[in-house]
Amino acid sequence: MRNWLVGLLIVGLLSFWGCQPPDKKTEVTSDETQETQESSEKATVEVEDDQATVEGKDDQATVEGEVAEDQATAEGEVAEDQATAEGEVAEDQATAEGAGPSSDDTIATQKESEQVKVAVAGPFTGTAAAFGEMIERGARLKAKQINEAGGINGRKLVLTFGDDAGTDKEAKLVATRFATDREILAVVGHFNSSCSLAGKDIYKENGIVALSPGSTNVSVCEGSDWTFRNLYRDDFQGQFIARYIKNILTKYNSVAVLFDNDDYGRGLRDAFTAEAKKIDLELVTSVAYDRENTDFSTQLTKIKSKKPKAIFISGLYEQAALIVKQARKLGIRSLFFGADGIDSPDFLKNAGISAEGTYLTTPFTFGAGGEEAAKVAAAFEAEFKVPPDTWAALTYDAMGMIAEAIEKTYNKEATLAENRKAIRDHLASIDTPEEGFIGITGLTYFDINGDTVNKPAYVKVVIDGKYTTAPEQMLNLDAFK
Amino acid sequence: MEQFFQQLINGLVLGGIYALIAVGYTMVYGIIQLINFAHGEIFMLGAYIAFTLVMFFPIPLWVAILVSMLFCAGVGMLMDVVAYKPLRTAPRLSALITAIGVSIGLQNLARMIWGAKPQTFSEETLPKFFQQLNPLVEPTSFLNIFGVSFTENAIQFSEGVFLAYLDLSIIILAVVLMFGLNRLVTLTKIGKAMRACAQNRVAANLMGIKTNKVIAITFAIGSALGAVAGVMVGVRENINPLMGFHKGVAAFAAAVLGGIGNITGAMVGGLLMGLAEVFGAGYIDTFIEFICNNIGLGQFYEDEKISHSYGSGYRVAISYIVMIIVILIRPTGLFGKSSAHRA
Repeated sequence: MRNWLVGLLIVGLLSFWGCQPPDKKTEVTSDETQETQESSEKATVEVEDDQATVEGKDDQATVEGEVAEDQATAEGEVAEDQATAEGEVAEDQATAEGAGPSSDDTIATQKESEQVKVAVAGPFTGTAAAFGEMIERGARLKAKQINEAGGINGRKLVLTFGDDAGTDKEAKLVATRFATDREILAVVGHFNSSCSLAGKDIYKENGIVALSPGSTNVSVCEGSDWTFRNLYRDDFQGQFIARYIKNILTKYNSVAVLFDNDDYGRGLRDAFTAEAKKIDLELVTSVAYDRENTDFSTQLTKIKSKKPKAIFISGLYEQAALIVKQARKLGIRSLFFGADGIDSPDFLKNAGISAEGTYLTTPFTFGAGGEEAAKVAAAFEAEFKVPPDTWAALTYDAMGMIAEAIEKTYNKEATLAENRKAIRDHLASIDTPEEGFIGITGLTYFDINGDTVNKPAYVKVVIDGKYTTAPEQMLNLDAFK
Repeated sequence: MEQFFQQLINGLVLGGIYALIAVGYTMVYGIIQLINFAHGEIFMLGAYIAFTLVMFFPIPLWVAILVSMLFCAGVGMLMDVVAYKPLRTAPRLSALITAIGVSIGLQNLARMIWGAKPQTFSEETLPKFFQQLNPLVEPTSFLNIFGVSFTENAIQFSEGVFLAYLDLSIIILAVVLMFGLNRLVTLTKIGKAMRACAQNRVAANLMGIKTNKVIAITFAIGSALGAVAGVMVGVRENINPLMGFHKGVAAFAAAVLGGIGNITGAMVGGLLMGLAEVFGAGYIDTFIEFICNNIGLGQFYEDEKISHSYGSGYRVAISYIVMIIVILIRPTGLFGKSSAHRA
């Protein structure tokens, strides 16, 4: 008996391990784009790559690490101390391809003058993969537009993607890989709050900017000079939702909370319940769920017995879709209210007609965006055959901000650390509306923490299987100060 | 009270699903003393196959279930031939490790074919009475007897107790299939052969029973039942490459709870696990609150945000605790016979 309980343990560990999504996928896709962009140069580049390796062998002592297959280790070993010439010969396919045609003795210098590298971290696999997909596309679109317009001061912007699978464990690995990379100037990411929190210290220690286009947990930017975000925080969002229900959805005067038991879900729930108590919105119960779960009928039955008029889901779209569906099966016909975590086309797809009438908040909606936003949406749809969502837009802007910072501060002669610092200083200096970055999601500027405090929350409602901007908005931020 | 009955229904549905999967674990263990960890993946494949069929061909769900059962039975037998048969005489641990390998392999195969993103059966591929209703429209009740009303997709027993036809069909399917399996094992010739193999494989072989054939059939039956459970879970929840792992481990625990190797045990164990999970998660917070109030910590409970029911976030853990307690008291499980040779 004991023997196979041990066996069970081993199996658990192994399967969990086996289930971790391979990092390969994103790297492959990043290669693919490069291929399409530079298919004509491919042949030359491959030859070069061979030469590079050969050249490396001449100089065994230094290059041994670089030619290793395992990119992460290789780069980690030689990380900070060796920022010049031979270091660049690493077998990093993307880099090699980015170099373009050049004679082999000047590979390194050519490369340095021709490209700048920015990393994007997000949940490209796992339970938040639909967000990751949009983040990747938003980043790619912006990079493509920048490069088509001549790059950043004539340098090509090259992206590299890191999959954190939406888990803090993977996020730490990705953050370490990016932070110790010898070329990456800044990181756009992470998306999940838990991931941003997991990466925060790593980015801080290594001195590299992480600009999140999606993490809303209150403490994501606190305590680190290197972390920024271009959207609101959960304390605002939670407060906003409570007031919206109280002031505008006046019929729904008793609320139950169903929250994801992670940093995002708990943080948002705390903000919501605190405000609900303050403004006297009746809170009947608050129930947790685990993200691995797919059956929520128990929690919903508990909530049903309290007969709330509205249910606030503090979690992500995948579970929210199941919750809404299963709730209807249990005969719950309360109003559902979600936050930005359920703002994904996949919510509508998975929940089907059960999602009808669901309200949610979002940092941005194309319906309320200007002309520029419409143009970007059209370009996005032409490129990827699907309309962009909020996260694509925020990533698009985050990438734009990083590109602008690089453009203004990049110094070829400076070391990597100096360049990274300059980017940070530039972002930190954007602290008034006048200096703010004007993107498609509106004006972005940072407070002392690196948080964006000026952006309003928009409310959307699901009508006929589509997100529609709700008729009544609360865009005046003065009430929340 | 309404909550109690609703939770009872939830528990029965979950228990039925666990029982269907657990039978597959227990039958294979009974005959070749192998814990077939890849069984959860068969369950997952069953869901994916039915999903793919109804998405690409205009066939009703029940046909897809039948095809998926046949397919999974085939996969189960193939798995036996390819992975376990060569190891029949090898130490048991080798076969166990192989099972883990097959499990991981199938999981990643599914990820490659269908992607990591969860899939949902689209509404129009489901029978009318499984479909979602527009929540903004009052459901119409077309039959009402003794306060029990029948609506488009659920039976409403009283104000707050609902039984969706989908859940009802899961319970019915589970009961019918369990009953059928029980008859098969006790009444038919192949059932007799299975029992003989379970008692002593070598002796059975000497008596002229084709043990390899019996083992193949065992795999096929277990896999087919797993496939049914997979499709029903796929319709009720969603389909993802990890579903076999999550539900599979719970079902395995159910098989252990009932006494692994014993089919009745697996059925009862599955039901108990489902009920334990649902009732544990449903009432743990009430329980904690009750304790806090009785030892004078009521105010503390209110203040310290424990009033947010974290308990139901740990529903899976609760069912494992039940299993561990039962195993501690009865190491052979509820229906298991004590036996000297265990893996």
